[in-house]
Amino acid sequence: MNLANRPGSLLVRRLTSTPEFLPFTLVVVLVVVFASLTPNFLSRGNISNLLAFTPELGMIALGMTVLMTSGEFDLSVGSVFGFTPVLMWTLFNEGATSLEVALLISLAVAVLIGFVNGTFVTRLKIPSFLVTLGMMMTIRGTALYTTSGFPQRTWRAESWLMDLVAGSFYIGEFRLYASIFWFLGFALVLGYILTQSKIGNWIQAAGGNPVSARARGVKVGLTKTWLFILTAFMAAYAGITSSIRVAAANPNSGTGYELEVIAMVVIGGTALGGGRGTIIGTVLGVFMLRMMRNGIVLVGVPGLAYNIFIGVTILTMMALQSYLARRHPSGAG
Amino acid sequence: MAADLVRMVGIAKSYGPVTALAGVDFAVYENEIVGLLGDNGAGKSTLIKILSGTVSATSGEIYMRGKKVLIRNTTDAINLGIETIHQDSALVTQLSIARNLFLGREPLIGPPIFNRMDQRTMNEVAGTLLKRIGITKDIPATTPVSYLSGGERQAVSIARALHFDSDLIVLDEPTNNLGVEETQGVLRFMRGARDSGHSLIFIAHNIHHVFQVVDRIVVLRRGKVVADDVDPKSTTIEAVERIITGVPATG
Ligand SMILES: Nc1ncnc2c1ncn2[C@@H]1O[C@H](COP(=O)(O)OP(=O)(O)OP(=O)(O)O)[C@@H](O)[C@H]1O
Ligand SMILES: [Mg+2]
Repeated sequence: MNLANRPGSLLVRRLTSTPEFLPFTLVVVLVVVFASLTPNFLSRGNISNLLAFTPELGMIALGMTVLMTSGEFDLSVGSVFGFTPVLMWTLFNEGATSLEVALLISLAVAVLIGFVNGTFVTRLKIPSFLVTLGMMMTIRGTALYTTSGFPQRTWRAESWLMDLVAGSFYIGEFRLYASIFWFLGFALVLGYILTQSKIGNWIQAAGGNPVSARARGVKVGLTKTWLFILTAFMAAYAGITSSIRVAAANPNSGTGYELEVIAMVVIGGTALGGGRGTIIGTVLGVFMLRMMRNGIVLVGVPGLAYNIFIGVTILTMMALQSYLARRHPSGAG
Repeated sequence: MAADLVRMVGIAKSYGPVTALAGVDFAVYENEIVGLLGDNGAGKSTLIKILSGTVSATSGEIYMRGKKVLIRNTTDAINLGIETIHQDSALVTQLSIARNLFLGREPLIGPPIFNRMDQRTMNEVAGTLLKRIGITKDIPATTPVSYLSGGERQAVSIARALHFDSDLIVLDEPTNNLGVEETQGVLRFMRGARDSGHSLIFIAHNIHHVFQVVDRIVVLRRGKVVADDVDPKSTTIEAVERIITGVPATG
């Protein structure tokens, strides 16, 4: 293919061929549309609110982006999101350990879950769909069974840890939550890993062409196993953050998150089949879907109609992405 | 005769009930191009996959320069100086030329903890290499491989083998699906590599291509070596075809 036919159109081509182009445009469009429909959308309270709950799904989406770039995905994230805070608060409420130790234990359990997922997928060669579906039911079942379905209380606790993970503070009259900084921090680190590091090259190669990557000495199985661990860790950390913010650990929470997170990642421009992933795109995808949920309610559309909008958005985005992909084979490096 | 670079002795491989290789002895000498021929399913790819560590032999031994070696995985093979360009899927098409060239052996910059790839060096080296192997069109090293033609992709694979100065370069059907011009390019790279001291194994179904570059021909038939010292200068393509198929000359 001819790389530089008309120099004038080159910049436009470059722009439209980056995977982040579409989600970025749509975020801008959404902001404009919602802001013009309801002044509330850009109000201090609403922005603060948006920034409070966006990082929670966002952190799972960051882990999922890297995992999907390597060609796998994880359906158990929603159940890990629900289970780990239940475990942490149960340990604490029963007086078994301090909150700090309870946090470490539940994160360690998440790491173990990720390790089991990764081992089943890479060693036993079972598709990640089946492995993580089984894991999802196992973990959700455990959360429901051990609590008999009742939420765990969190309000007896006072700890610096809670402030560090999900505390809030005021800048003037603007309420800001610590979780947004964690989200941005994780995004920076994972973005760096994916684009700048040697491991990032291995992740993309593992997803793009595992046979050829292995032939180059890339440890494909090991790389993927680490990414399953990372994804489970992020889901657990997000769940704990959420439990602190809403002051309850509900064994049902996170139900359905796995699909919403995958939607965010794919809308952001990461390839469903692996080989190509973008953290910036995911951040945009996360904001896009969260803003839609928020804006739709503000505009007065019944909340139950939310899924219709998400569904239509996903279909539209996919159609546009595939149109752009056909114009620019395989996107830009 | 020149010294051994690689010698494979008594290599056998079965996939369940299927015997792909039944006790193969195969050697590559220093500074030569060996043509490895045989019909579909003769065992050519299996043999070189054992050499490159992607498949493990059921039995047999491998020697490099007379010393016995163990090739348990691709890393072992690469460390021994064996570079393989596989028949199926040699490159990761989503990655750039430079990233493909250095995949698995990315140079790092800065403190090791940051694991940061030296992308500037990678792009510079890749650019020079592309020129050296004769891609004169101005293709930036950051171009995804999916943008390249089949011949350009083969050139990238071969450039990788040249850059890492592998002693043995194995090419499994590198001229498949290539046009006349691009095929000549690949053959030229092969001669160039041999002339600068490398040894090569060249697998192809097109015997004309093989005759143009190789120093010696080895023929496999149903997992066995049926000829291992055919000199292309003193035989005909028809004679080699008869060895491959095992059909005696008629009339
Ligand atoms: N992964 C595998 N599982 C089972 N059988 C296999 C496998 N790989 C190869 N074989 C069998 O081993 C035999 C040799 O295959 P191989 O790929 O080495 O042949 P080849 O000489 O490279 O053929 P071609 O010219 O078609 O590439 C064939 O009978 C093939 O069916
Ligand atoms: Mg073959």
